[in-house]
Amino acid sequence: MNPSQLTDEQLVKIIRGKDRELYSQIIKRYQTKLSHYLRKFIYNADELEDVLQVAFIKAYRNLYGFDVNKKFSSWLYRIAHNEAINYLKKNSTGQISLAEVEYKLIDEKINLSEDLDKILLKKKVERYLNKIKLKYREPLILFYFEQKSYQEISDILRVPRSTVGTLIRRGKDQLRELLLNY
Amino acid sequence: MSENLENKIMSQIKSGKLKLHSRYIFLAEKLGLSSALVLSALLAVLFCSLLLFYLKETDNLVYLSFGRLGILAFLDSFPYLLVAVFVVLLFAAGYLISQSDWSYKKPFKYVAFGLLAFVLLIGSTLALTGVVRKMEEQAFRGSGPGMFFRPFFEQGIEMRGRGIVGRIFEIDGDYLIVETPHGLQNVSLKNLRCEQQCEQFKKDDFIIAIGQRKKDVFMAEKIQKIEPGRMPMIHRGIRRQFEIK
Repeated sequence: MNPSQLTDEQLVKIIRGKDRELYSQIIKRYQTKLSHYLRKFIYNADELEDVLQVAFIKAYRNLYGFDVNKKFSSWLYRIAHNEAINYLKKNSTGQISLAEVEYKLIDEKINLSEDLDKILLKKKVERYLNKIKLKYREPLILFYFEQKSYQEISDILRVPRSTVGTLIRRGKDQLRELLLNY
Repeated sequence: MSENLENKIMSQIKSGKLKLHSRYIFLAEKLGLSSALVLSALLAVLFCSLLLFYLKETDNLVYLSFGRLGILAFLDSFPYLLVAVFVVLLFAAGYLISQSDWSYKKPFKYVAFGLLAFVLLIGSTLALTGVVRKMEEQAFRGSGPGMFFRPFFEQGIEMRGRGIVGRIFEIDGDYLIVETPHGLQNVSLKNLRCEQQCEQFKKDDFIIAIGQRKKDVFMAEKIQKIEPGRMPMIHRGIRRQFEIK
């Protein structure tokens, strides 16, 4: 069977069973997504790659700890999230960098006034996303930039589903306030 | 970067440097956590019932019937050790729940409230059954699983500094000689704030008094007569002291 047709969970079962080399499929599937996610916390590209590598290695080592009845992506994001938090505890943060597509997403979803200067806005979002408290920034990034559902965010951040909505709303309010006032 | 990272990790896997942790480690971790959680919750239930049993069966709460004067005797006989162990077990159970895979799905205050309700409900039900009484008997007999809880039961009949409970053995002028689980004790009535007279008491009456212990004599300030059934733990302690031995 073509590995690319398998679900993440099926892949994990096979990797745990016999074919360790299929882990490359997991890396291929998640490398870009996770580096995208980690870029919101880690400015330096080399450090980002190190953190990403540690996250993939930890995930591999702990594959038996994953419950195949749950969603693999949430489990992997949880590991990456923990690594990002560890990194932030050790290092001061720089300014995060948003891709063009992300900038469009935040513009649409946070509903800023239309006549704002778009280039200026992008720079502001980059600057002010970092100024929001981490506990609001994390769900905001997962929801708006990583397109995760409330349930997935709840599983990644280990907070109740009902709390996710509150955190996103407060984060959004803080970001809007920062963008409009400064 | 992308190919490079994949190659780095895959070369470690292929060379055998990077290995999967054994499934048994995760199994043991899960089993250990679940067992510790169940054990701490069950022990919390047990200590809750021991605490309620203590409050119901000893002199501790009765001292409060003396009003403000009884507070010191109440504090003196309060089961601090039982309460401390109970609280530690509750916190341990709460901590272990917070470490579980599912606890984050509900706000922790609900989980904590659920745990507390469970422990109090089952604990008070258990206290009403004869289980704890049986444990008390085992504790003093020194046999069966109840013997491990002896330090907690002993506090219920130990000698108090500010209060005394027992059965009148003899009335001698300004003194009462009272049978207690620790033998015969002299209770002086000289300091009695007395609307009460010694004549009110007769041999074999159960009494509870507050005051102060001075060497071998308990200087009573207030005394009440009580029904023997109100103080079963003390009663049994006296029986052990004077009849069984």
